[in-house]
Amino acid sequence: MDLLKELVTYYNDNGAYVWTEFYRHFLMSAYGVLFAAIVGIPIGILIARYSKLSPWVISFVNVIQTIPALALLAVLMLVMGLGTNTVILALFLYSLLPIVKNTYTGILGVDKTLKEAGNAMGMTRFQILRMVELPLSLSVIMAGLRTALVIAIGIATIGTFIGAGGLGSIIVRGTNAAEGGAIILAGAIPTALMAVLADFVMGWFERLLSPANSRKLS
Amino acid sequence: MKKLTKLIMIGMLTALLLSGCSLPGLGGGSGETIKIGTVTTSETQTLGYIQKYMIEHYTDLNAEIVGNLGSSIVMHQAMVNGDVDISAARYTGTDLSGALHMDLVNDPEEAMEIVQREFQDQFDQKWYDTYGFDNTYVLSVRQDVAEKEGLEKVSDLSSVADKYLFGVDNSWINREGIGYDEFVKEYGFEFNKVYPMQIGLVYSALNNKKMDAVLAYSTDARLKQFNLATLEDDKHFFPPYDASPVASNDLLEEHPEIDGILQKLVGKFDNDTIIELNYQADIEKKEPSTIAKEYLEAHNYFEDE
Repeated sequence: MDLLKELVTYYNDNGAYVWTEFYRHFLMSAYGVLFAAIVGIPIGILIARYSKLSPWVISFVNVIQTIPALALLAVLMLVMGLGTNTVILALFLYSLLPIVKNTYTGILGVDKTLKEAGNAMGMTRFQILRMVELPLSLSVIMAGLRTALVIAIGIATIGTFIGAGGLGSIIVRGTNAAEGGAIILAGAIPTALMAVLADFVMGWFERLLSPANSRKLS
Repeated sequence: MKKLTKLIMIGMLTALLLSGCSLPGLGGGSGETIKIGTVTTSETQTLGYIQKYMIEHYTDLNAEIVGNLGSSIVMHQAMVNGDVDISAARYTGTDLSGALHMDLVNDPEEAMEIVQREFQDQFDQKWYDTYGFDNTYVLSVRQDVAEKEGLEKVSDLSSVADKYLFGVDNSWINREGIGYDEFVKEYGFEFNKVYPMQIGLVYSALNNKKMDAVLAYSTDARLKQFNLATLEDDKHFFPPYDASPVASNDLLEEHPEIDGILQKLVGKFDNDTIIELNYQADIEKKEPSTIAKEYLEAHNYFEDE
């Protein structure tokens, strides 16, 4: 009960600060995933087309995923220095696996007969991609983005160790304070909330974009 | 395969390039954002935010906190690499032995002169005069005991020390040159028993009468929380850890107005003020950012001086 009271006082005193860190945290995660989508989705489409490349690329992004977050941040820090950009690059790298893999699986999962039908109608390869493969795999790709964003929000908390700020700063301050339980919670709760919210919103998009729904819409 | 590697390379490069410039919503990268480094302690964070709000109050520049750096060495590296333009607070004693690899000096003014000169010469950085507080070791006893025994200076302990249990920071006890053995030599008395412990524990150990005297940090909020008395180091045994802002000369040349802003903060924070600010951060659990804003608003951003 005391903890709850401390938590309420904390938010009362520091609402503006928590909000700026929340916004910062979200932006870092979103940028990381956005850049990974710009790079990862084309790669996923490419390796679905040229299946010989897929084992190479998939194992490459798998390897990135196995590097511990703290180690990756530390290595990137040596090259890029302190600050948000380093964190965004790390989040970009971690987001590649779910995005590339889901795009790849999504495109491969499109029924062959549909592609052949497109081909028979005289569609070019690009038209097949744009009008058949992408619409049908969109929900799987969205699922990849959803996973990537939730992971990114979690990893962004340790960005504070290289001076990037974010909600992790609040948590770390709590661990340094003498009786910082309330401060730790004050940072952890918004982080968890953000991840849950992101998962929910992206899940909603995913359902909206699923082939069954888009037929209804059009 | 070649095509693919090319593609991946291009992708990586674009990402790197994109992240090289500052992204909307996130400062950093661009030259117009002043980066202020702080370590994990509340006092450096509060002072960092005070600098940030002062800079934003007096100029059109943006300032950003690069917080939670691991230690003063990490901070120093960040300054040298240009990741950080201003250190919120640096301590003479810490950087004499840390960044400069020199022996500790007991005279505060001499220590200040050395770091100011050496940082100017070696690192092209300006080390300002002190904020007015020092975060050094200080001997502390309970207020009622201090009054009863008439304790004001460390030397006053000599008559009672043989009955006292002494709680100390476990990293201090064997420190070369300023550890317990040298302490005994300098002051000429020994405590009944010495208990090394985590520095965070000494305050409540003293307050709960488990210890009779402890070696505390002079700006810790718990001195105020438990109303503990501190004893003057009359033989100047402990090295000075006076706190100052440090800024890179590159920044000061580019934005000369920042020099005046940092100069305004010099001498404005004595130990009692810093303990009060630390008290708000550590005991009342306010964020340094909030404390800094309130403090500056209460003092009108030091505009009158």
